[in-house]
Amino acid sequence: MTSSFYIAWHYVIFNRVRSVTLVACITLIAFLPFALQLLLAESQQLLQSRATSTPLLLGARGSALDLVMNSLYFDDEVPERISMLAADEIADTGLGYAIPLYVRFLARNYPIVATSIDYFDFRGLAIADGRMFTLLGESVIGADVAEDYGLAPGDSIVSSPETLFDLAGIYPLKMTITGVLERSHTPDDRAVFVDLKTAWVIEGLGHGHEDLGKTNDSSVILKRTEDKVIANAKLLQYTQITTDNIDSFHFHGDASVYPVTAVLAVPHDAKSATLLRGRYLDNTQYHIVRPTEVIEGLLESIFRIKTVIDSVIAIVGLATVLAIILVFALSVRLRQRELSTIFKLGCSRMTAVKLIAAEIAFIVLASSVISTGLLAIIGANAETLVRMLIFR
Amino acid sequence: MNPGSRVLNIALLLLVSFIAGSAERLTVYTVNYPLAYFAQRIGGEHINVVFPVPAGVDPAFWQPDVRDITAFQQADLVLLNGARYAKWIERASLPRRRLVDTSAAFRDAYINVSETVAHQHGPGGVHSHAGTAFTTWLDFSQAIEQARAIKLALEKMLPQYSDVFTRNFSSLERELGSLDQRIMAIVSQDRDKVFVASHPVYQYLTRRYNINLETVMWEPEVVPDQAQWQSMQQLLRSHKAKWMIWEGEPHDQSVKRLNASGINSLVFDPGANAPEKGDFISLMNRNIMELEKAYRE
Amino acid sequence: MIDIEALEFHYPQGEFSLSIPHMVVAQGEKVAVIGPSGSGKTTLLNLIAGISKPHQGKVAVADQTVSSLSDAKRRDFRITRIGFVFQDFELLDYLNVLDNILHPYRITHALNLNSEVPQRAIALADELGIGDKLKRFSAELSQGEKQRAAICRALLPQPQLILADEPTGNLDPRNKGRILDLLFENVASSNATLLAVTHDHELLPRFDRVIDFLDFRNEAVA
Repeated sequence: MTSSFYIAWHYVIFNRVRSVTLVACITLIAFLPFALQLLLAESQQLLQSRATSTPLLLGARGSALDLVMNSLYFDDEVPERISMLAADEIADTGLGYAIPLYVRFLARNYPIVATSIDYFDFRGLAIADGRMFTLLGESVIGADVAEDYGLAPGDSIVSSPETLFDLAGIYPLKMTITGVLERSHTPDDRAVFVDLKTAWVIEGLGHGHEDLGKTNDSSVILKRTEDKVIANAKLLQYTQITTDNIDSFHFHGDASVYPVTAVLAVPHDAKSATLLRGRYLDNTQYHIVRPTEVIEGLLESIFRIKTVIDSVIAIVGLATVLAIILVFALSVRLRQRELSTIFKLGCSRMTAVKLIAAEIAFIVLASSVISTGLLAIIGANAETLVRMLIFR
Repeated sequence: MNPGSRVLNIALLLLVSFIAGSAERLTVYTVNYPLAYFAQRIGGEHINVVFPVPAGVDPAFWQPDVRDITAFQQADLVLLNGARYAKWIERASLPRRRLVDTSAAFRDAYINVSETVAHQHGPGGVHSHAGTAFTTWLDFSQAIEQARAIKLALEKMLPQYSDVFTRNFSSLERELGSLDQRIMAIVSQDRDKVFVASHPVYQYLTRRYNINLETVMWEPEVVPDQAQWQSMQQLLRSHKAKWMIWEGEPHDQSVKRLNASGINSLVFDPGANAPEKGDFISLMNRNIMELEKAYRE
Repeated sequence: MIDIEALEFHYPQGEFSLSIPHMVVAQGEKVAVIGPSGSGKTTLLNLIAGISKPHQGKVAVADQTVSSLSDAKRRDFRITRIGFVFQDFELLDYLNVLDNILHPYRITHALNLNSEVPQRAIALADELGIGDKLKRFSAELSQGEKQRAAICRALLPQPQLILADEPTGNLDPRNKGRILDLLFENVASSNATLLAVTHDHELLPRFDRVIDFLDFRNEAVA
């Protein structure tokens, strides 16, 4: 049998183009459905694990999917804002506790997730390096953010302006990184976490005052008199909260009506959950959703599409298998002369069959190895791929 | 019983109480002394109360460092005074879930103040009292509500000790109630009594007990300057006060000069930070005795 | 060495038929077979080699009646006892020269590819003047080199009978002599019998005997 493989190997190598074509065909047809399956399983896992670990989500009436995608996976489709009162309302019911979320701004293309530090306990996120943010203007970043930009505690990260020309005069905020989170293999790895108040400073709801008396940039000062300095809007390229100016930071108006995008509601038990949901049934302003239900709906659509793709792959696969059979049948006919040679040299029919079987074995083996390799690559990067495909 | 087994028994007892204690002792952080005192009275041995503001610093204007805030973040329960008390809270990240706003029950009864002059005293730095009046506990009926909020929060976290907390709270409520009654009784002796206060911290006290009081902006430890004397004279023309209420022991010179103008001094310490001796109740008893001086003449 | 009696053969389709009443070739004889195209010379070689089976009569090689053996036995007999030099070399394009020479050992259990065989193959290729071409593929070889490779493959199992079908048919005159010399030398050294089909009348004097196919029309060839 080793001789048969030896000869078959030389045949396969000699007829490279034919072999490579066959291997490519078989590889594709073997790889595609598995890869699809892998990616779907991963996206299902990714979506579901996050959804099941998030009991209830309260947001403005509107798309439940947008709300869930924004609050759980930090998708950049920002749902309509609600006020902090919503969080207080939930806490006041005594049915559970509330974690407000404000996922709207970006820093270096990563979402800024503004929340209360309860979020970290709730998600079981631990600090790998550094410490939790304690003050306005501090941030804690996910493992991927740290890795991508080589950031560590002590560095800073600047929020991106929402539009190129922000007429409201909102300057990007330079935030100090106080900690890097342990990798959790969730969207939390790819987020910049700040306190809600910090997000409100980014939004311009809270601000500090630069000591203009000390500024020497003449392009900033419009007019300087004995006791007054008038500055133009170009005061700063970005705002930064430091120990020197933090005391000048303050919020205008009633902070309890400041905006958030969602409130994560964590009921004490199943009964509280039901009661809590009941309370918002007829609410015209808010709706409360169970992320698992929303994600199940999404997955159902994905799996419906998958069924279609599966049948297409099945048909293409069948066609390919038939084509491959044809290729082998034709090649046996093309090789009639060669076969007659080996018969003359004393080869039995059995051995001839073995030779061809060995060739097929090589082709199939090569395809399986390549498919497995590709699948391993897909598997290793499934999370990233799925994230690229599903989120943004 | 031989001495050896006695030692062993004591050791066992200590061990058992240590395990039982450490397993369930909640760490409770508070932003001022009254809340710390209430929490300690109600929670007793089942909680570990931490009030980290150093002596001599007004907790309302305390500036915690990162380590202080981290300790607050890691507490099982953080008791806030409400009424925008302690400015640092606005700039710090605290765990919402574990925050208790002890004055939420009377949120609608907050007093807004418009005085905006910034001033400086002690190690707290420049500050102003604009916004919401926050010395809520000097209205002892409000103090009871704040204590009740603490009791409810503790019960929620340690329901097994509900009986203990209820008992402890009732005793505290009685004591605070009796303080309330005593002031009521004292002030009812003379409804027309007029006072000047050195600092705007008595808004809730005067509202509750219907005390006629105007405020200047003096510091107990600083002798007022000429301008301050003048505005005092101005005030006294329409507001014929015979007594000045100080939030801390006043400077001798200030006392003498006031005396010369026919104004006596008394100290009513709000007790935001821990008193040097005694506790909240004994401090308030001292305050009431001081107040009584004004009504005894 | 070869003993044919009353042989009758025809292909399933077509009109061609071959009948040989009697033909004998002695041990060690070098015999040339001539005859016009289509007279059945190659068919005769195939019948002797056991590649084809006669419809009637008997073909015996080295006292073994080849025609009465089973397919498998006949194949084994051919592989071990008979060396066949095919008309168009029958080299496999996807194997190099050495692998082509060793190919019979790899496709049948009748020959045993032990460690000594490749050494012999290399030595034999050296003798045949293609020692430096062993790693080449047949497409890279000249006609003469191909024929040497084919001869090398036929001789390697040290057969007692060598059947050669136009061994010089595709060669230039200079090569013809060389190849035939090599073939004869090897046949002589192993005391084998050679039966070669040829068109080349110049070469006939070098054979011990010539069998003309035209003779079969009437009588047996002794």
